[in-house]
Amino acid sequence: MNVAAALRVAAASFAYGAEPALTGIDFTVFPGQAVALIGPNGSGKSTLLKGILGLNTRTTGTIEVLGAWPAPAGYIGYVPQTDQLDPNFPISLEQVVMMGRYRSLGWWRMPAQADRLAVAEALETVGLSSRAKTRFGELSGGQQQRGLLARAVASAPRLLLLDEPFNGLDQVNRDALIETVKRLKQEGVAVLVSTHDLDLARAVCESVLLLNGAQVAFGPRDEVLTLANVQQAFGSVGVEMDTHTIVVPGHGGH
Amino acid sequence: MDALITAFELPFMARALLILVVLSLVAGLVGVLVNLRGLEFISDGLTHAVFPGIVIGFVWGGRDGLFVGAMVAALAAAVVLTVIVRRAVTSDAAIAIVFTAMFSVGIIVVSRETNFVGQLDSLLFGRLLTVSDVEVDQAVVVCLIALAIVGFTIKEQVFRAFDLEGARAAGYRPLVLDILLNVAIALVVVAASNAVGNLLVLAVLIVPGAVARLVTNRLWLLFPVAAGFAILAAWVGLALGYAASVNGGVDLPSGATVVLLLVAGYVLALGARLGIDRLGVGRIGGPRRSRLRAEQGAL
Repeated sequence: MNVAAALRVAAASFAYGAEPALTGIDFTVFPGQAVALIGPNGSGKSTLLKGILGLNTRTTGTIEVLGAWPAPAGYIGYVPQTDQLDPNFPISLEQVVMMGRYRSLGWWRMPAQADRLAVAEALETVGLSSRAKTRFGELSGGQQQRGLLARAVASAPRLLLLDEPFNGLDQVNRDALIETVKRLKQEGVAVLVSTHDLDLARAVCESVLLLNGAQVAFGPRDEVLTLANVQQAFGSVGVEMDTHTIVVPGHGGH
Repeated sequence: MDALITAFELPFMARALLILVVLSLVAGLVGVLVNLRGLEFISDGLTHAVFPGIVIGFVWGGRDGLFVGAMVAALAAAVVLTVIVRRAVTSDAAIAIVFTAMFSVGIIVVSRETNFVGQLDSLLFGRLLTVSDVEVDQAVVVCLIALAIVGFTIKEQVFRAFDLEGARAAGYRPLVLDILLNVAIALVVVAASNAVGNLLVLAVLIVPGAVARLVTNRLWLLFPVAAGFAILAAWVGLALGYAASVNGGVDLPSGATVVLLLVAGYVLALGARLGIDRLGVGRIGGPRRSRLRAEQGAL
């Protein structure tokens, strides 16, 4: 294939301080494709996402975002988990989404008409236009997640990183999120999403990267998501998979 | 009532009002960020840190040295503070240790300079009504610098206050933003020390921002509300102090009067907010939503 990779990670390892956190990472995401990051808690999913953002130490290997490192400003859109945000912060959804425009605006300038238009479009894309003026903390968890996705969309990224976007979401919000990610893929955005949820992987991801402190497997979704691979990644032979989720014994169901 | 207008026909009253209005504008901007970031304790630390600078500056160069000393101490403290907060395990302890140490240094220097002890009062509690034109100019310039620093980075500061991780991911360097904000706070502390006093600066920096948070939850309204409230308190406070002295023969220190008015305004806003919340209209804030942790257990 002669298409430039949106993200190419080769033989990369990451560390927190002196502790190695994640080793042997090797995978590629092409424009318009999505990769699911799957692994138990502490397996290095967030470490990898932060590594791609350049927020932690890479000890070996290379990362290229559209052939460049560090990633050019504005190429990556990042959707963090919402539970780290102060629900009392006096800011509206629309103002949060506008933050996606700040990098392209630069330091001194205030948003112009084009930025307001981009914000309105991003809100439309995630289906939250009617909540634009609502205070962010008053939105439901799922709406907040979609709001942060809209913020990333407003920055017109080429590569979208989502950290556990399904956490705590109801079905309506899950569907809305999946629809948005599908639409972005059609526009050529590459997606890397960490998730516990096989529904999300099945709905939008062509490939899966299985992690457990190191890369366990990477490849087409159905080839990688075998019971043997998943048991190896989750370090337990008792692991079961149904169509929706991975069930680890002693942790109850979904 | 006349005092609200007539008092300021006197040059020293006009000077006091001017310095407080400028301070209020800056406090409106910087103070709201202090509130959004929860930096009240750091601001407290900075007012202590400026003290030895003031004292050493005075010993070294008299009244003129005082300003330079305060400025050097404030800028150094702002940078040191930003760095230790990032490195320390518990930032509150680190701040408290560094700044109580600096305050003690100031007191030791003061106690060795007998001709200075008498002025300690005015340093701690201000001398709003005897500031000179030069001091007004200095304060205004310093305030304008602080205003520029925060004004030019306001949207990035709000981004960082709301979502540190997101700001970092967007390519911002929080350390740079933190140093800029702490330097701006330090500059306000320096500008205000002479007029309202080292210890009372804090009220000007913290109370208006807190009042604004009670009054509105619309982001860009916070700033004018905080500044407007500070100006109102300054105006009424100065007039009240003047009227009490001239008409009532009661010596009401103007700086402290302004601070008490600020606090009274806060109590009033708090009461109103609690009342409105009880009636269930226009609720601001509210408890952290208990999230449905659907993924719990299921990996």
